[in-house]
Amino acid sequence: MAALSSPIHAADPTPQITVGTQEVGLTAGYMLSLHFKRNHTTEQEGVAFMPSWMMTLSDPLGDSWYRGQVSLGAELVYIQFQEPILTHGFGFTPKIKYTFAALDRIRPYAEFAGGPFWTDLAGKIPEESSRFNFVLTAGFGVSYFLTDRVALNVGYRFHHISNGGTNHPNIGLNASLPFGGFSFFF
Amino acid sequence: MGQILSRPLISSVLAMTLGLGTGCSHWIELAVPTDAAPPASAMVDTDARVPLLLETIRVTHNGSSIAPPAVLERQVLGAIEATRLFSQHYQSGSTQPAADQARVTVRLSIDNLVEPHAGQAAWRSLVLGASMFALAPFISLNYDYGAEMSLEMERWDGQIKRYTATSKGSAHYHLFGASPDVIEQLKGEVTEACLSSLLNQVIQDSTFYLTSNEQSHGNPIRTVSVGVRRPSSHALPIARPITDASPQ
Repeated sequence: MAALSSPIHAADPTPQITVGTQEVGLTAGYMLSLHFKRNHTTEQEGVAFMPSWMMTLSDPLGDSWYRGQVSLGAELVYIQFQEPILTHGFGFTPKIKYTFAALDRIRPYAEFAGGPFWTDLAGKIPEESSRFNFVLTAGFGVSYFLTDRVALNVGYRFHHISNGGTNHPNIGLNASLPFGGFSFFF
Repeated sequence: MGQILSRPLISSVLAMTLGLGTGCSHWIELAVPTDAAPPASAMVDTDARVPLLLETIRVTHNGSSIAPPAVLERQVLGAIEATRLFSQHYQSGSTQPAADQARVTVRLSIDNLVEPHAGQAAWRSLVLGASMFALAPFISLNYDYGAEMSLEMERWDGQIKRYTATSKGSAHYHLFGASPDVIEQLKGEVTEACLSSLLNQVIQDSTFYLTSNEQSHGNPIRTVSVGVRRPSSHALPIARPITDASPQ
């Protein structure tokens, strides 16, 4: 009786990241030491694994090139120091990310994370004396959405480990951390 | 010794449960329109009803025109259908009523006002992260949504009536309670409330949209109750498909 039609909806290929969209990320990288101080002599290197969870907390802000969204979450950090001594480090960091959404499938982002970090490298190198440390990272990356729910990520992070002055010496370790990984949105 | 240990343990478990429960919560507040009229209803002659043609839906999102989502078109038609005021329901671009048939043509304009409080969310995110999520149960995030609808209904003889309605609401959620469903539910509730208010005004003018058919001798008058079908307290998300509710 009624002349209502039921339109067929084609799958929308554009990523629909809205408030409340969650992101699970699997990221891996390789840490390379950076020396800003003369007394930082350790050439620490190693692989890093960083599974993460994020929650999108805003619709896109702004109308220009900087149009983007804020998300907040947490990341687990595992680093296997292969140089100078095979040791390990574990950390947990709340993480905030700003994703530029002006482009369609290619979305650059900037991220910042910081939290407690435990490593048994401490005491075996001159820069760190305590096993309990803090890790701070700041970086940028690009997400390329393979589908509207899966993205490939590549990027770079500056990585800093120190104990926040809770023990001496506390020279700290700085490193570059190029990384790659995948994100799944749901 | 066991009791001494168990008290802090129980307190910790209770605190964590309370914190997680609060941190996952969300709620929606729907503002009651100040100009809300009491629900109208009427009995109308079935044979006096005419078809309705939904000609255009114009939608703006914070002032910018957007294409009306198909689900919104179906929601609007479904709400009009549910009033039972019209005999048939047509959508522009689909099957049309006969050219010589009396009809009511509908033009709807919807202005959506969205305030996601994105800046506030950004700052509160920083605070939440800095607190290692310990403040998650105490800091809520907000999302406001409003709709202003203007309905123009043109009768078969060219007479036009216009109706307007507004509705707004807010979703409040904690970090772990954020979900696209919460926002969709808010949009659905606001849209339903606005449509209900609009159609309630139409029902009050129901005789304006009826033809004055003379009753043929020997046939009893068949009537139908018309009125706005009130949304349930748990309004449906806007994406819910509308089931066929054709008047019989």
